[in-house]
Amino acid sequence: MKVQEKPKKSLSNWARGRSLWMIHFCTGCGAMEMPPTMTSRYDMERFGIIPMATPRQADLLLITGYLTVKTLKRVIRTYEQMQDPKWVIGFGSCTLNGGMYWDSYNTIKRLDLYLPVDVYIAGCMPRPEAIIEAFVRLQEGIARGEFDGWRRYRENLAWYRANQAKVMDVNRWGALP
Amino acid sequence: MTPQDLKTLLESSFPEARVHLPRVRRLQVHLPQPQVLPALAFLKAQGFGHLSAISCVDWIEENAFELVYHLWSYTYRFHVMVKTRIPRDHPTMPTARQIFRVAQTYERDIHEMFGVRFPGNPRLVPFVLEDWQGPPPMRKDFDTRRFAEEVYGMRSIETELFTRREQPYKGFRKK
Amino acid sequence: MNWIQATSIVWVPLLAIATGLLYMGIARKVIARIQRRYGPPVYQNFLDTLKLLSKRTAISHGTIFDLGPIMALAGGLLTLLFLPIGGYRLLSFQGDLLVVLYLVVIAPLGMALGAGDSANPNAAIGMARGLTLMLAYEVPFVLAILAVMVKYNTASLWDIVQAQAGGWHHWNLFALPLSAIVADISLQGMMGKKPFDQPVAPHEIASGPMVEYGGKYLAMLQLYHAVAIFVETSLFTVLFLGGGPLWAFLLKTFVVFLVAVLIHAVAPRFRIGQAFTFYWKWPTLLGLLGLVWALVL
Repeated sequence: MKVQEKPKKSLSNWARGRSLWMIHFCTGCGAMEMPPTMTSRYDMERFGIIPMATPRQADLLLITGYLTVKTLKRVIRTYEQMQDPKWVIGFGSCTLNGGMYWDSYNTIKRLDLYLPVDVYIAGCMPRPEAIIEAFVRLQEGIARGEFDGWRRYRENLAWYRANQAKVMDVNRWGALP
Repeated sequence: MTPQDLKTLLESSFPEARVHLPRVRRLQVHLPQPQVLPALAFLKAQGFGHLSAISCVDWIEENAFELVYHLWSYTYRFHVMVKTRIPRDHPTMPTARQIFRVAQTYERDIHEMFGVRFPGNPRLVPFVLEDWQGPPPMRKDFDTRRFAEEVYGMRSIETELFTRREQPYKGFRKK
Repeated sequence: MNWIQATSIVWVPLLAIATGLLYMGIARKVIARIQRRYGPPVYQNFLDTLKLLSKRTAISHGTIFDLGPIMALAGGLLTLLFLPIGGYRLLSFQGDLLVVLYLVVIAPLGMALGAGDSANPNAAIGMARGLTLMLAYEVPFVLAILAVMVKYNTASLWDIVQAQAGGWHHWNLFALPLSAIVADISLQGMMGKKPFDQPVAPHEIASGPMVEYGGKYLAMLQLYHAVAIFVETSLFTVLFLGGGPLWAFLLKTFVVFLVAVLIHAVAPRFRIGQAFTFYWKWPTLLGLLGLVWALVL
């Protein structure tokens, strides 16, 4: 399905950037930096970003840290439950190139083979100032209409599925053996 | 009971045991494989009722796995480690589940990571690794780096990752 | 004829939505300042609603799922039209207090209907808690309203407003203080603020009945929430604070809302059983005493 939308500045893009709702899914050890960012010291709510409880209500998915194959299956299901337009931020070095688990047999090394990532934050783990810088960059990019990971996912679904099938069994999403 | 007393007790009950005390509050017992379960039952009757873990060590040059049962006693407050060697090809060990129920989970973990079979354990199903297609990963002849490169694909750092910032950083500014 | 008066049933709902969203934004700012941080700007809820309205996909579980937010918003707006807002008598008529008491229940029931069709156990738990809480807070609230009705021997909101005219010492807040306190405690449960926000309870049941709603449905639920805040604070203002001209009316609703938000910011949450027994114990007792007060004095 081809989604025809050219990147442009508009009222809805400006509103989408100013009111990002992130889903409170703490994947790896990088999630330890989310509570300081959310609470009073490095307040994240002044940018309009609040944590929501379910993927149906959220439009920002933070992959905080490493992803084992088990978690990747659940993360993909969560990502596909979110409604368009949606964005993904990859926290930490483990989403970039495997980080400290670069030669491990069970963690993925490149996140953007499986999910479309819009912004990466380097660090292990990144400090709240770095996280807020990434949020600001994401907001400015959304207001300009540049970040379109959700469109890339829809258009190249076959490629993403092939990558996912290389590490997991995509015919069996209900996991328990 | 002090560790010395337990050492004399074990050497009298199990003649083929080699017992030594490497440190304070640690006691190691090396036994051949058929005598491990009677030794575990004996130690449980002596007051070592807590099985902390079962570990497995891969002695690849000697072609053997070594299983270690870590026991702890709340009354006497010292550790006992029961060690045994099993052959490395077709490794099997009867389950310790009848003596310590919790051994079921530790044996499930060792079965997944090393490939040791425990007949008598009803639940040797996959534990941590989901949709796993390869050999048992904790064995020393498993090349984890090559496996990671083949299955997950590495990223070449120089060409893809570093981008220059377009403008110098001026702090958070309102547009 | 006065055009503002004539078209009041058109612009009062829009005013209610705008004021409600602004109040929600002010609530977030107040809570943030209490927690010693800066909060979002006060127009943040307008941006949230705009963002939700611009979502591109709509995931639905069926027709009744779609009807839930529509019924909620429609019920809220319908209740609004029977309240005399700021001196403009919209559709208020003789006996409309009883009608309002019935209509104020339609919106939560609509939400419960929609939540029942979400294929999610969190929604069912939230729905059960919401209906239980409604059963709990309606009892002291009706006792407080009965006291007002008995004192003025009327069931028309317009007459109650007229009877409180002529200065602030005529307000029911000072004539029937016990009933006013009881109605304020019930208001905390009606608005779903802590310590009575069990139906939503974001950390326990993942926002309760709203758990499967996203995108445009959630935008409609935000609008319903805004209208509900306005309706409930307006009801309290009309009954107990002698709703005056429009600017004074809005100020009074803001004060009522601020009191609720200040309690919300610092209180933890009851269990649903504790909330139920609380409402049927002291507020009901005080409501009965207030009824006796209205009969005797």
